[in-house]
Order: sequence, then C-alpha cells, then structure tokens
Amino acid sequence: MQVTYNWLKDFVEINIAPEELAEKLTMAGLEVTSLKPAGEDWVFEIEVTSNRPDWLSVVGIAREVSAITGKKLAQRKFKPVVYTRKQSGELSIDVQDKKDCPLYTAKIIRGIRVSFAPDWLRQRLELVGCRSINSIVDITNYVLFEYGEPLHAFDLGRLEGKNIIVRRAKDGEKIITIDGQSQVLGPNILVIADKNRVVAVAGIMGGQDTEVSYSTKDILLEAAVFDPLIIRRARQKLGMQSESAYRFERGINPQIVEEASQRARELIEEIGGGKCVIAQGQGILKAKKLNISLELKRVEKILGKSISLGRIKGILGYLGFKVAPKRKNILGVSIPVHRQDVAREEDLIEEIARILGYDEIPTTLPAIKPQITIDKTRSLITLVKNILVGLGLNEVVTYSLISRELSAKLNPGKEGEIEILNPLSKEQEVLRTALASGLLDCVSRNLNHKQDYINIFEVAKVFAKNNNHSKEGFNLAIALCGIKPRLFKQGLVKDEVGILHLKGLVETVLSRVGIKHYCFKQEDNAESVGVYINKERIGLLLEVGRGNLEKFEIKNRKVVVAELSLERLLAEAGTQKKFVPLPLYPGITRDISLLINEKTVIEEMILAVQEKGKPWLREVRVTDYYRGKQIPLGFKGLTISCFYRSDERTLTETEIHPLHAALVAVLEERFGVKIR
Amino acid sequence: MSGVNIKAIQEQAEQEINSVNSLQALEALRVKYLGRKGIVVELTGLIPSLPIEERKIFGQQFNALKNKLTDLFAGKEKGLAEIKISEGNARVDIGLPGIVQDLGRLHPLTQVIEEICDILTRLGFSVVEGPEIETEYNNFTGLNIPLEHPSRDVFDTFYLKLSDPDCRTRNLLLRSQTSPMQVRMMKAHKPPLAVAAPGKVYRPDAVDASHSFMFHQIEGFMVDRDIKFSDLKGVLELLAKAIFGQGIKMRFRPHFFPFTEPSAEIDISCIICQGKGCSVCSRKGWLEILGSGMIHPNVFRNVGYDPKKYTGFAFGLGIERIAMLKFGIDDIRLFFENDLRFLSQF
Repeated sequence: MQVTYNWLKDFVEINIAPEELAEKLTMAGLEVTSLKPAGEDWVFEIEVTSNRPDWLSVVGIAREVSAITGKKLAQRKFKPVVYTRKQSGELSIDVQDKKDCPLYTAKIIRGIRVSFAPDWLRQRLELVGCRSINSIVDITNYVLFEYGEPLHAFDLGRLEGKNIIVRRAKDGEKIITIDGQSQVLGPNILVIADKNRVVAVAGIMGGQDTEVSYSTKDILLEAAVFDPLIIRRARQKLGMQSESAYRFERGINPQIVEEASQRARELIEEIGGGKCVIAQGQGILKAKKLNISLELKRVEKILGKSISLGRIKGILGYLGFKVAPKRKNILGVSIPVHRQDVAREEDLIEEIARILGYDEIPTTLPAIKPQITIDKTRSLITLVKNILVGLGLNEVVTYSLISRELSAKLNPGKEGEIEILNPLSKEQEVLRTALASGLLDCVSRNLNHKQDYINIFEVAKVFAKNNNHSKEGFNLAIALCGIKPRLFKQGLVKDEVGILHLKGLVETVLSRVGIKHYCFKQEDNAESVGVYINKERIGLLLEVGRGNLEKFEIKNRKVVVAELSLERLLAEAGTQKKFVPLPLYPGITRDISLLINEKTVIEEMILAVQEKGKPWLREVRVTDYYRGKQIPLGFKGLTISCFYRSDERTLTETEIHPLHAALVAVLEERFGVKIR
Repeated sequence: MSGVNIKAIQEQAEQEINSVNSLQALEALRVKYLGRKGIVVELTGLIPSLPIEERKIFGQQFNALKNKLTDLFAGKEKGLAEIKISEGNARVDIGLPGIVQDLGRLHPLTQVIEEICDILTRLGFSVVEGPEIETEYNNFTGLNIPLEHPSRDVFDTFYLKLSDPDCRTRNLLLRSQTSPMQVRMMKAHKPPLAVAAPGKVYRPDAVDASHSFMFHQIEGFMVDRDIKFSDLKGVLELLAKAIFGQGIKMRFRPHFFPFTEPSAEIDISCIICQGKGCSVCSRKGWLEILGSGMIHPNVFRNVGYDPKKYTGFAFGLGIERIAMLKFGIDDIRLFFENDLRFLSQF
C-alpha cells in the first residue's frame, strides 16, 4: 500500500518529519518498506498484514497516525442523499444472492463533462502508482485509495435497460474487460449484468463496452460489498489482478461504503459538473456490534508491564474504540466496524502494546520448571552423524520431493510411493522411498566438478504408503566413489573404495551405538550385501552396477552405496554403557597363517573357531590377507590372530598348546585350509 | 691362490660395510656375505677340491674371515642403531604432509540447527522432532488458521494423494511450517512446557536464489501459568545475541500471525553493513530474522488448555536464512546442490 505524507495530512495533523513518521509506523506494525521524496510530497510504501484491510486506505493509515502521535482524526461531513426505491422505473437493482453481495448501492449522476482530472488529483494518483485515465475514472480510483472502498462508474447510456443485476455468470458467457482481455466466465464467477449482457466481473474489473469515455454524459456509480471468497476464486480462475479485487478479497468495511460513495459524488459534481438524481441501494448496512471486557490485570499478566488506565483509554480511543469503565479496573470496549479483526481481550492487549511500542515492554527471563524430555531418536542420529564425520564423511542434504524418474532409477516399478497432489514441477512428483538416488545424483554432480574422491552421507526421512496410510522414518545412506590417495612414509597408497569400506563404516556405526548382534550376508545377485541385526534385514551395501550408474551419467567409475533403516537400527541400539573389570592376568596371542579356498566364507570360519576356542579364546581377528605370486590359483592367504586369556590365572604355553592345536584342526578338517 | 681369494673378500666386505648407512642395507649386506647362500658359505664348497694339507690352513682362514665379518656387522649394527636414536627426529622431513584420518563435515544447515538447539537446550528447552507428513488440522486448523486462509491454497501447501485417517475428506499434506509441533506437543503433554522443534518444511515455491520448495525451520515455545511477553523478549534477545554476537541491536516489531496474539517480528541490525543500509538488508539497516508472539487463546482451546490459566510464547525461525546471513551465502540453492567445494568450507 502506498500513501503520501500530504494526503495523510488531509485527515490528521502531523508535526513530525516523514522519516520519523516512517519509523513510528514501522514500530507500530505498519512496516514502511520504502520512503521516497516526490516534489513537495513524500511517498510511503507500507506492508499491510492480512488482518488489517482497513490499512488499505489513506483514512485507515491516518487513524494509526492519529493514535501514534496523539492527534485527532478529522471527520468529513457530507450532505445527506435520500435513497429512493424504484423511482419512475428509471433504475432497478436486483441482487440474486445476498451472500455473494451483501450490499449494493448505485447513484445516477447526469449531465457530466468528462475531461482530465485536476492536477492535484492526478499527481496524488500517480504518486501511489495509479495511471490517470479521465476525470471520472480517476475520481473513483482516488476514492478507492482514500477510503479503501472500490467504486466503479458505468456509462449509463451504454447500459441496456435501466436495471442492474448482480448474478452468477452463465457457463461460457464472455466479457472483454477494460484491460482489453477477453474472458470466458462460468457459474463460479459473480458478475454485474444489465438486461442483456455482463457489464463487469463483480469486484474485479469493468467491461470495455460500458467504460466511461470522453463522450459519456450520464453515469451509474457503483459502491458495493462482495463476498471476499468469491472474488478471490474468480480472480485466481481468471488470472486477473486489480486494486479493487485486492481490497474486496480482504474484506470491506460496510460502513465506509456510503461515505466513499458520497465523497465520489461530491468530487464528480465539483469536477465533472453533473448532478446526482437518483441514489438507490439494496442490502444491509449494519455490521455486528461487539463489546469486549478488558481487565487491567490481564494486560499486565500478558505483557509483563503495568499500564495506566488513562494510557489504555487514550490509545484505544484514538484507534476508534469506544471505552467505558465497567467495574473497578475493568473496561467495556466497543469494537468499531472497521476492526473486524478484534474479537477478544488479547487482541485489545496487542493494540495497546503496539501503539505503546514493544520497546516499552521490559525484558525478563521466564521462571519455569520445564520437563526435560529427551528425543532418543534425535540424540542417536546426532551420534551417528558425528561418528561418520569423524570417519571422514561429508554430510549432504538433498530434496525429499523428487521426480518420478529419479525415484525409478534405482527401484523401477516400486510400489508404495506417496504422490504429491499439486506438484509445482516434475521435480516434485513423489516423496522418496530411499535416499540412495539422491546421493548418486550428488556423486554425479561432484564428478562433473572434477572431484575425484567423493565420500558423502545423508540422514533423512523416507516415506511410503501402506494400506493407504502414510509411513515415514529415518534412513541413513552412504555413497563412496573414487580412489583416495593416502601418503604414508613408505610412499603413496592408492585406496580404491569398495564394499569393504562401507562395511567398515557401517560396522563402526553399529558397534558405537551399542548394537552387538549384527552381520553381513552376501545376497544372491552378488552385487549387494544385506545388513542384519538379530536376523532382521535393516539395509544393504551395494556396488552400483554399470547400467544403473549410466542412468546417473556416471561412467567408468566405481560407486558403492549403503542404505540402512535408522528407525530399525535405533530400536536395537543400547546406549546404556556398563563397566567390565579390567583383566587381572595377561593373555597370549597366537597367529595362524593359512591358505584357504577362494570360495570359503571367512565369516563361517571365524564363527567355528570362536565356538571351538571357548572359554579362553577372547578374540579372533583377520590380521593379514593376501593374494599373489606365492599363493596358488583358487586360494587366498590369510593370517588369523587368536588371543587367549583366562580370568583365573596366567595361562602357560603348555595349557594353550592343545587348544590352539584343536582350532587348527577344525580349520583343516572343516574348511580344508593348508597351514603355511 | 686360495689365500688371495679370502683376503680380497675380506677387503671388499670391509669396504662395503663401512659405506652402508641404514640397518636395512646392512641386513642385505649380511645376507650377501653370511647368509645361507652367501659368499662366505659358498667358500666351503671349495674344500673338497683342495689338497688335504691345504685344507687345514684354509679352514683357519675361513673361520678367521667369518669371525671378522661377524664382528664387523655387529659393530656396524650397533653404530647405526645409536645414530638412529640420537638423530631419529632430525631424519623426518617435517615439510611432508602429516599422516592423519581426514575429518568430514556436517552440512552447514545441520551446524546451524545444532548451534541453535544447543543454546535453547541451555535455556531449558527440550529438543524434539516431529513428522513431516501432517494433517490439515495440525498444520492449520489447530493453529487458528481459518479454513479459507490463503496459506491453505494449493499454491502455498503441498497436498498428498492420501487422505487423513481422521478426516477422510481432507488430504494429508507436507507441513508448511514447524508450528504443528505446538499442537502435537501440547496435546500430548501438560504445562510447563519448553520445546524446540527443528525440521524440514515444504512450500510450492519456484526455486531461485532465495526460494526453495524444501527448507528448514525451528519452532520454539514455552507454556506455563505465568509466561509473559517480556519473557519472550528476554529469551529471544539471548538467542539472537548468542547466534549473531553480543554487539547486535534488536527491535521487536508488531506483526500478524494467526496463531499468536500479540505477535512480533524480530529484526537485528544488519550484520553486513552494521545498520548503515546495504543490498542484503534492502537499505533498511535491519534484517528480519524471526516471527514470534504470545500463543493465541484459540490455539490453547484447540489443544485443551484453559487460556485463562496458561499463557505462553512461540517463535519460529528459518534456518537457511540464518545460515545465509551467518556465513554470507547469497544463493539458497547451494545448500541442496551439495558441491563438496561448498560443503568443505564449513
């Protein structure tokens, strides 16, 4: 909303500079987003919040200035015009549904001369960004800005039949509006019609046919109230914008309608030289009167500052509220029609605080005994993220809404995706069911930026439909790509990522969140490895196949991805830590170097050794792994390190020897290994 | 003839041992001379070809050589080990890169969320997260947003092709704000409450340098018998100064939100131009950082609290905006492109 300094002065005395006024308005909730000098005048651009349609007028803003500066608002007086009913058949108004149009008034002004509007009026209109058309149209626009009531003038000579019908448009009815656009209407659109045709899209824009021109002699001046919703829907449907629709959508003060219409009539008679011969209206003028009790104690309880009765009365009085003492420290406040937004005590308290200035309210800290609730999921997610960052990974954040195409890249034909009813573009068609695609997209983009080593992870929600119910839960995904060059003292080691890197990362996460019983199982397709906790599959490790990589425009690269359900992982997590006394006796380590068949599953072998080694065998680790010249084809070389310890005494060589020999025997007999 | 041989071998060995300066090279040399297939051992292979009378002399010479070399190796090894201990540190070229496991980074949005949640936790707030799929009731109705409010339009909220189990005629939606957590938490708990709820929110905005259809917010609220607007000012002043520094100026400006009354927007003096006016603050000298207010009595009624008994405040802030201001980032899209060159700066 734009308003000028001098225009405000028509309604209220202002003794402060425009800059100071702008500051005060901003701090009272009318944020001045720009203030520009314009000749003798100043233009304020004010952001109007949706609850204050009364601020869409010079009068409305002047009322705020009056409250802020403590100066009285000027009242205009108009000569009363007598409304007539169906006078000699010259004009009839037919409002078909009062819900669509609670109030419709029309004045017929005859014998006008249309010309340019006077300079003062045109200049003000131009300052608030409204183009000058001709004297009559300019006057209706001037009053629109001044009072916030949109008016429309029809060329009476071009109306067919002397009746105005406010009705819904028929399917396919057409109109060319004054902006030259042709519009096809329908029953959801409210129109103003004469005997034969639509002459205006109600509350939005008039028709070209009945537009006031320089040859117009007589006019019909419309001032009405239309249902905000029907105006908004019609505007959206027709894709139109107008100052008029903007105000109708936010709600019109019915009490201002007549004043605005009188103001326009007066200006037209003064400038255009015509004479109002008929004034007619249909509908209710009355709005609901509301009285609210305001308790002084409540003001203090909510604001944290005690404010005197006199101060409260003054502020509310200037804003147009009528205040009368009800009981001791309780005021009866009557709400004016232009303040439909005020409905309860708290609303009045805001008015008091706003005009007083929020700066006047002290700064305190609350005395509260809050309950401490710990969001276990959130704490564990933070832990998981920190572990992965410590392991060198970078966190990414990708979109949860993705295109159907991206969603299908890794999981073609997957069911249970939740679809968006109103996507803005193809990129937002579905909610993702997994994170991996988003990460592969990130990998691809980073490869394009010539990154040769990419290690990223994301923790975010995934979504699915289950029996028409929605399900959401956190997943963790990791993607690795490329060769990490590591420079050690003995020289450069080129470490190409693979499934084992994922295994290491996932194992660290699992063990650090306190999960003991997990395992990894090769899956049938050979590309992926399942991750299990207590025999439940919670995710997978995957070397992404070449075909799938090509869908992401990744060529000649190895990419591995892990995706786990964090919800299921966190359900198993044990955060409780328990101290185990330190061992009293030292242990002994024995290594076994062996050759095994390529196809032997190491995990099974380790499990068998662990079983056999009870109770002294405390740990079995693979400490070396090799293939190469010394190893016969079809075999792999391993070193297994066994750690023996007793809680009762220091074990001797002689005690360990038979047990270790038994382990070796198991390896030889059950797994056919050759000891080296 | 054989005597010359042995002497030559000894001289050669002595020379080579002297010129060696690492333990590894010394070991290699030891293998060369004294190893199982070393030069010295090979000499024994000559014995059968010698006349009987020469064999004794050869044996003596052979033993002398072996002992001599063994002593030389032992002496040299001791010398090298001493050098290693005394000069060990000097031998590392500290100009070489250090050997270390790389540290990754949390996303800058996570960093800002954690920073704000930490501050709020210290003020007594509990941090909780809620679902991203919401009902129209929690996202709008419960928050006193009227049925015909423009924010409910399909232009402003993503709706799902899935209906609300509690209200079959209404579709579920992606929350357009974190405020529904007020409704959820208040329905589930009795006051006193102090809650901070970070998370993703969604709005159908066309993506450009300052808009994204997915972004992050933190909702904070506190409810008890005696929470006042002055408390809201106190808490938010602490929060803003903890985030942006003690030197900033703040102002509380009246505004309108359907779920608070009175409502306030909070501005801080522009951290780029210190309030002089620049392009970041649109020449205003002030930056809007969050919306807040006293929780509307209708919201209390909707969750079953008595508005005469309880009061409370709530605030919501946009993480991307705070992060952009804090780090001087000028394009919101950078957060979601995840370019490692971007991520590695935080």
